[in-house]
Amino acid sequence: MRKRALGGALLLLALCAGQALCAEKRWVVSEGTTLKNDQSVSAPNLADLPVGSELTLVEGEGRWLKVRTADGKEGWVYAGRVSDTQPVAEVAGGDGLLGDSMQKSQINTAKADSARSVRGLSPETAAYAKQHGTPEGLKKELDKILARKVSDKEVKAFLKEGKIGEYAQ
Amino acid sequence: MKKLRLLPLVALSCLVAAQAHAGWQDKLNNLMKPESKEGKILSGATQVLSSSQEMTYQTECTVGESLALDSMQRFGKPVQNEALQKYVNLVGNAVARNSRRSTIPYRFVVLESPVRNAFAAPGGIVFISRGLLDVLDNEAELAGVLAHEVGHVAEKHALKSIRRAQFLQGAATITAANMKGSKGQQFESMMSDLQSTLFDKGLDQGMEFEADQAALETTYRTGYDPSALVSVLRKLKKQEATAAQKGSWFSTHPPLDERIERLSARLDKYPAAGSATLPVRFAKYVKPGKGGKAVK
Repeated sequence: MRKRALGGALLLLALCAGQALCAEKRWVVSEGTTLKNDQSVSAPNLADLPVGSELTLVEGEGRWLKVRTADGKEGWVYAGRVSDTQPVAEVAGGDGLLGDSMQKSQINTAKADSARSVRGLSPETAAYAKQHGTPEGLKKELDKILARKVSDKEVKAFLKEGKIGEYAQ
Repeated sequence: MKKLRLLPLVALSCLVAAQAHAGWQDKLNNLMKPESKEGKILSGATQVLSSSQEMTYQTECTVGESLALDSMQRFGKPVQNEALQKYVNLVGNAVARNSRRSTIPYRFVVLESPVRNAFAAPGGIVFISRGLLDVLDNEAELAGVLAHEVGHVAEKHALKSIRRAQFLQGAATITAANMKGSKGQQFESMMSDLQSTLFDKGLDQGMEFEADQAALETTYRTGYDPSALVSVLRKLKKQEATAAQKGSWFSTHPPLDERIERLSARLDKYPAAGSATLPVRFAKYVKPGKGGKAVK
């Protein structure tokens, strides 16, 4: 009888340990993600969650998930802003294999983009256009394409207007 | 008795494991010999790593922008309707921000072309033809098509298709200087292969199915009806027999039946209840002559 009780206790312990090890992870994939103190877009923010932040799923399967951050804060995040796989890291430098951190890569990506929008086509793209005799009109069209930016604020307003995702009622 | 029966099994397992171990040891030793089969595989894998994974975002953009110039020469200029271009950019960016690669800037462009197709240039420039846009009926369908293309950018599918290009061996960064001379010729050859893949032959079928799955996930997480992509494929299926094939969705994507079947089987994971389709807003920008209010 005592052996059975001990066996049961060990099984329970193993199950608990297994669950702890397999605690479901989620990663933030969208910029501008915030931890909310309730399941609503209008609920107060508890923390800003940068892209790549690792979260532990506490509860929830629907549109809002209760999660715990690495520093122990618990709150709600819209399910669309997280993924069960890590986001793709950018290669920031020229030499290393995925050498720099994701945060640094994002900064470099943003810098590369803003620099390009100021000067128009990059020297490399301009060289390609020259070699191919690309008409001036098409170069201007590409310049227009690259200059056409959409801000996070505009996307949020667009989603809100369409009552999409976290703005659905 | 039971223990006795188990003994030969254990001995047999040990023997198999020892043989396997010996085989692996030989293979490990061979990795160091460049002329061996294992050595060649390692060398190939190293080249793949050094070619595709080292490419910086800036270099990826150069490839993408050069390809964008080629695509406009081939398919036509962007549609001259700023409100339409802005609308398509908002839909595209809404899904891109929930993709696996949300940190780069994406641009979405409607090209003045009757050929029904959409394709993505490395770096995040996504094209959709006016011809394909005309087939669609709501914003969720547009989101599905754009999310499929974002999936290709996120997984760097086009770059993977050219990872063995000679240009990339030892030249992961493109500069205006190395676009001249013999390196320049290799760059030209790489761009020609990329054009042929994206505009004529299409990407590997596995990549297309991967982009389809990513599109379901991304549209669903954004809040659009995930079944809308299947609706688009069903409409294209109906038109397949009579549509222009060369350079179109039909010639650059896997058989529609198979894609519809694969996607439909996954839809249970993504309940459409409560998700948006928005046919009215779509018509306002895309079909002003067919009941939508004209926006210029």
